[in-house]
Parts: sequence; C-alpha cells; structure tokens
Amino acid sequence: MYKKLFKVIALVMMASLVLAACAPATSTATQAPAATKAPAATKAPAATEAPTSAEPVTIMIWHMEQPAYRVARIQELIDEFNAANPGIVVSQEPQSWGDIYTKAPAAVAAGNGPDLLFAIPDFTPIMRATDAVQPVEDFVNEMDVAHKYMPAAIAPYNYDGHIWAIPLWSMSHNLWYSKSAFEKAGVTPPVTWDEWLAAAKKLTADGQYGIGLPGNKNLYTDQTTYDFMVNNGAEEIYNSDGTLRFDNAQTVEALDFYSKLFKYSPPDSTGWAWGEAEACLASKTCAMVLQFTVISTFDSQSGSDANDLGVIAIPHNSSQSQSNTIAYSNAVMVLTADKAKQEAAYKFLRFIMEPKNYGRFLTMEPGLYLPVTEDGSVADSYWNDAMVVKYKSQIETMVENSKNGMLFGFTNGNTFQSISQISAQNLIAQTLQKILVDKEPAAQAVAEGQKLMEESITK
Amino acid sequence: MNESELEQSYFGSKLRRNESILGILLILPLVLWMIFAIVIPLISAIKLSFQDVGMIGSKGNLIGFENYRHVLTDPNFWKSFGRSLIWVISNAVIQTVVAFISAVILMQKFHLRSLARVWIILSWIVPTVVVIIIWRWMLGTSGGIVNYLLVSLGVLSTPVGFFSTANSAFISIVLINSWRWFPLMTVILLAGMEGIPQELYEAASIDGATGWQQFLRITFPMLRPVLYVLGLIGTLWSINVFDIIWLATGGGPSNATMTLPVYIYNMAFKGYRLSRASAASIIMGIILLVFVIVYDRINKPADAD
Repeated sequence: MYKKLFKVIALVMMASLVLAACAPATSTATQAPAATKAPAATKAPAATEAPTSAEPVTIMIWHMEQPAYRVARIQELIDEFNAANPGIVVSQEPQSWGDIYTKAPAAVAAGNGPDLLFAIPDFTPIMRATDAVQPVEDFVNEMDVAHKYMPAAIAPYNYDGHIWAIPLWSMSHNLWYSKSAFEKAGVTPPVTWDEWLAAAKKLTADGQYGIGLPGNKNLYTDQTTYDFMVNNGAEEIYNSDGTLRFDNAQTVEALDFYSKLFKYSPPDSTGWAWGEAEACLASKTCAMVLQFTVISTFDSQSGSDANDLGVIAIPHNSSQSQSNTIAYSNAVMVLTADKAKQEAAYKFLRFIMEPKNYGRFLTMEPGLYLPVTEDGSVADSYWNDAMVVKYKSQIETMVENSKNGMLFGFTNGNTFQSISQISAQNLIAQTLQKILVDKEPAAQAVAEGQKLMEESITK
Repeated sequence: MNESELEQSYFGSKLRRNESILGILLILPLVLWMIFAIVIPLISAIKLSFQDVGMIGSKGNLIGFENYRHVLTDPNFWKSFGRSLIWVISNAVIQTVVAFISAVILMQKFHLRSLARVWIILSWIVPTVVVIIIWRWMLGTSGGIVNYLLVSLGVLSTPVGFFSTANSAFISIVLINSWRWFPLMTVILLAGMEGIPQELYEAASIDGATGWQQFLRITFPMLRPVLYVLGLIGTLWSINVFDIIWLATGGGPSNATMTLPVYIYNMAFKGYRLSRASAASIIMGIILLVFVIVYDRINKPADAD
C-alpha cells in the first residue's frame, strides 16, 4: 500500500510536470490564467451571432500600458466614451510586454482573446499566425483623410496586400542625462562614441555610475543594442532577399562598443528592464540612460527641477554623419471578426483619434507617446497638458530625435516578418549577453547570434 | 444453508454492493479530475510531440520522432539537464542540512518555542512573486540592503550584482529557493521526530550515548521513512521549480540558470515550437520515471510495504 501510494504520487507529479511545462493547445488554452479571467465584458456573443438590442456590444482592449497612471488615463477616456455610447461597453485589461507574445496567441486559440490588442510592428506577424488579425485599411484610410497620418507610422503594418493595425503613436529612444551630474563632472553632452565613452568614464565616481545600460535578455536590451547598431551603419539585419546579414563588421563594432560602455553601468544591469533604468537616473545613481522617456519617473521621484533633466540624440560613431535611434510605430490590431464589434471598436478609435481626445490619450505617459497624425501633433489637448508644458523643451527634442528612427526588420521600406521570431526570443539581446556575461569576443558572439537567428526563422 | 443464513447472505451481499457503489461515488470526482486534468492532456502532449505544431492553436502534421531526435541532439537540452541536476542536488543538500538543524532546534524546550514553530513556515507561505521582489530588492546594487551592509562592513569595496554573472546568479537562486522551501522540510522532519519514542533516548542516555550518537543511531534511522518520502517528492518538486527561476533571472544571464522547465517554456512560448517542447517534456518525464524506479529500489525502507 505504502509503496503504491508513493508511486502514484510520483507519477502524478511527473505528469503534472510534463503538463505544466508543455500542455497541448486545448489544455494550455484553458489554463491561460488572465486570458480565461476575462471579465463579463468579454462574454460577448460568438463572432457569427448578432447581438440583441438588449445586450450592449462589448469591446475588450488589451494593452501593455501597465503603470497605474496610464491605466487611469485610458479608463478616463473609456468612461467618457461608454457614457456617450450606451450601446457599447468598452473595457481594458492591462498586460505585460514580458508575456504578451505568449499569452495573446494562447488566449486567441482558447477563444478568450481581446477584441483590440495593442501592438508593435514585430508583434503583428505573430498574431497574424493565429488568423485572428483583421485587415484595417479601410479604417486607416478613413483616419488618414480625417487626421492625416504620417506615412512612416503606417508602413510597418502594410504588407501582404493589407494594413494589419491602426497606428496610434510613435516613440523613440533618446539619451537622457542629469545636467547637474554633467556640470559637476565637467562633462559636455556627447555627440560621438569617443566622447560618450569618455563622459561615462568621468561620470563614474562617488557611488555614481556613468551610464545605465541594460544587459538582460529582453526587449529593452534588444532596443538599446539596436540603438548602437543604427549609430554605426548596422541598421539592416536582413539582406534585400530576406537572408540575414546580422553578422557584419558594423554590428560587431557596435556590440563591442556597447560592452566597453557597459563597464560604467551598475553591475546588476544584466537583469534590468525599462523601470530600473528610469529609477537609476531618477535616484541619481546613473548619470545617463537610454530610454524612450523618463519624464514621469524623474518628475515624481528625483526631487529635481525639470531643468535638470537633459535629453539629446544618441551619440554616433564618428564614421557616421548623424545620430539615429530605434523608433516604433505603436498600433492597435482588431481581432474580432464580428461586424457589430468591429463597428463599435472603430467608433471607439474614432473617438480616441479626435484631436481633443488624442492629446489626452498620448499624455497618459507624457513625452513617451508622440503623435502620428498631423492634427494630433498640433493638438491643444497634447501641448496644453501640464507635464508637457513643464517638460516642453525635452519633448521638442524627442520629436526632433524621432525623425531619424529605425526598427529592426522594417528598414528602408522593407518588412521582414520573420523578425517576429527573432524579436520574440530576444536574440539580439542574447547575442549581447554572450559578450557581456560569457566574455566572448564580439565577432564570435555576433556570428553565433546570426546562427541562432537563422535557426529561429527556419521551422 | 438455513433461512437465517440465506437472509444474512442476501443482506450482506446487498450491503457490500452498496458499499462498493458508495466507494465508487466517493472516488469518482478525483478520478474524473485526474482524467480531465492529467490523463487527457498527457495523451494530447504525447500526440503533440509527434507533430510539428509551432504556435498554440495552429495545425500540425505528423513528423514521427523528428522532435525527439532534435531535442536529444540539442546541446542546450543537455546543458539544461545538467543545470537541473546541479539545481536539485544543491537545493537538496542545503535544504536538508538547514531543515535538520532547524528541526533539532525546534525539538528543544525553550521560551516561545510554539511561536517559533509557527513562524518558521512564514517564508513558505509568502507568494513566490513577493519572495522574488523582496530578494531582488535586497540584492540590488541601487538601494539593496545586502550590498549596503557588505560595503558598510568593508566586506566589499563596491556593490556587486548578485544576478549579473553566471555563477553568482545560480548560487543566488539556489539560496533563495532553499530559503523558501526549507521550512516545509523542517515541519515534516519535526513531525517525524515527534513520533520517535522518548524511551529510546532515555535508554541511550543511560547507556552513555552522546547527543551526536543518539542522533546517528536513533533519530536518523527512525526518520528514514520520512527522508525516503522527502527525497522522492522533494526531488520531483525541486526539478519542477519554474516560478522562482523565471521571476528572478528568466533563465539568465546568458542561459546560466536555464534549467529544464525554463528550457521547455522558452522553446514552447518564446520560440513557438510547441511540439518540440512537448517532446522535451516527455523526455524529461521519462527521465524522472527512471529516477523514481531507481530511487525506490535503492532507498526503499525495509518496512515500506
């Protein structure tokens, strides 16, 4: 009896292990935690059913804007829309960029996916594989006529004969720094890599780190690594025929320089995400960081005057003529095939894109989200926001820097959809870790990185 | 058989039949749960491992043993397996030693013993995500109390990144995991110790046995059945740990803490190779099954049956 009991326990535990590690489509879908916890709003009629007059059309939005103040701003807009549209109930469910690449396909497979899902260009091809993403060119054209889209915002979503997401905002990396730390160290804002390295070295003193750079295997490190690549002429990861060209001299030089600068970053930055970098600058532990924006954190946590926050374009190698940066056009995908829901979703998005609301939407994180429509870029609702007014000079610099934005897999008008496989596994960051953690020479790490990328995009 | 015996036989058999039905009804929910939650998904996972399904919900074709061949020839699978072994052994050693010491201390009579016995379980009942947030904060270089103390005491000249190098990250998560799990082991050992007759110790004392001799000759042998269970379940639990590793390091830096569950998760949900991940998890299951059989043969206490 005793023996049998433990054998049964052992077998059950092993089976659980197998299942926990890798459940099949059906079971995983039912076990997806938040996906199955969709509130009542998601319990809408099936795609083919028309809602009855008694039932409002429900729209569930998944976005990755987790900070409470962003959620609150989105909710404020949702509440206004819901109040003005009694037949529609929009609700939101914040998600994390850390697991949305996993969670969203699982939720869609389980039939619990959202109706609207925020996206970045390299995420869209992954969701397209679920067959849930709806073409939205008609609506995008309508918005283009009404608000005049900036063409660069639409381009990364326009392929295979359709537009697959509705652009909402753009964002790009900048070099943020503490002006007082620079003044104290007698450092001027760097323009070239040599100046940048010298500045980081000089600023590393008295418990302060010259720069905060991530070395984690995550999207943030993908982004910062690409910042170095685009400032050394290595923006193209693909050849025009779709083969990879990640392994090239410019990439090697860029990653090698990253590792030199990384010596002046806090030792635990191999585990950083965006938040740690912002906190490091705000706490004056780091003199510089690469980020989209740090305005909110700086304003609420640093205790410093707005004038102490400096922002410049990311320095470039002296072989390059200008500074470039990573830039995203963020958008929203429509995942519902139900026509009534689609109409309700479009109605909500029309409401958001109206200049009087659009600025409020963008300033949920002041300075992070830059307008992608012409009327939005001059909207009072944007420029009259208290934080935007306070940090106007920084935001104007950000807008200027964003003009030289690029994104891996979406350069020079090309769209290489397999970038989603590379991005989902953070293989650019993994390549960098080989240099930072495993102490491999940059050339060897980049060669191995390309091999990993090639394996990832072949089935 | 007379009439009374016949009647008794009739009612006896009816009673036995009713008891059987009641027994079946009582275990039915558990059996159904096991079928739906374990057996069916397990069969699906096996089926999946012979297909080429990439993303959840997508369709796949049968490809035979290709996924198994790929996994078994993947150096990262064996590296992860090696790390899992080191993970299990290091956790087992640390937790066993600390739990034994804690249990022996808690067996002693001292003021507030009852309170100590309750509070020792605290680290085990705190949710994993909270444990990891606390430890990451404590071990951080910016405002982390551990670095602050080490620098203040002159042990370190500058703060160190506990999760920044391969070895320090692995050691850190082993210690965090051991800190989290040793209280449970302590409580189980304590329960086992409480069951050892006091007379044995008294007799040993009269015979002049020292405390250490009593531990070796009485406590340890008497706890063997408990240790057998802990060794078996603890190993399976330990190798299955995913949350602590994933939340603390994500398997990094540079895959230094990527154990088998993290390897499988990455393959399934980051690499979108669900079928290959299924094959890896089936292989892992088979390895554990072999472990259970071998462990049972070697360590089974004499009175286990």
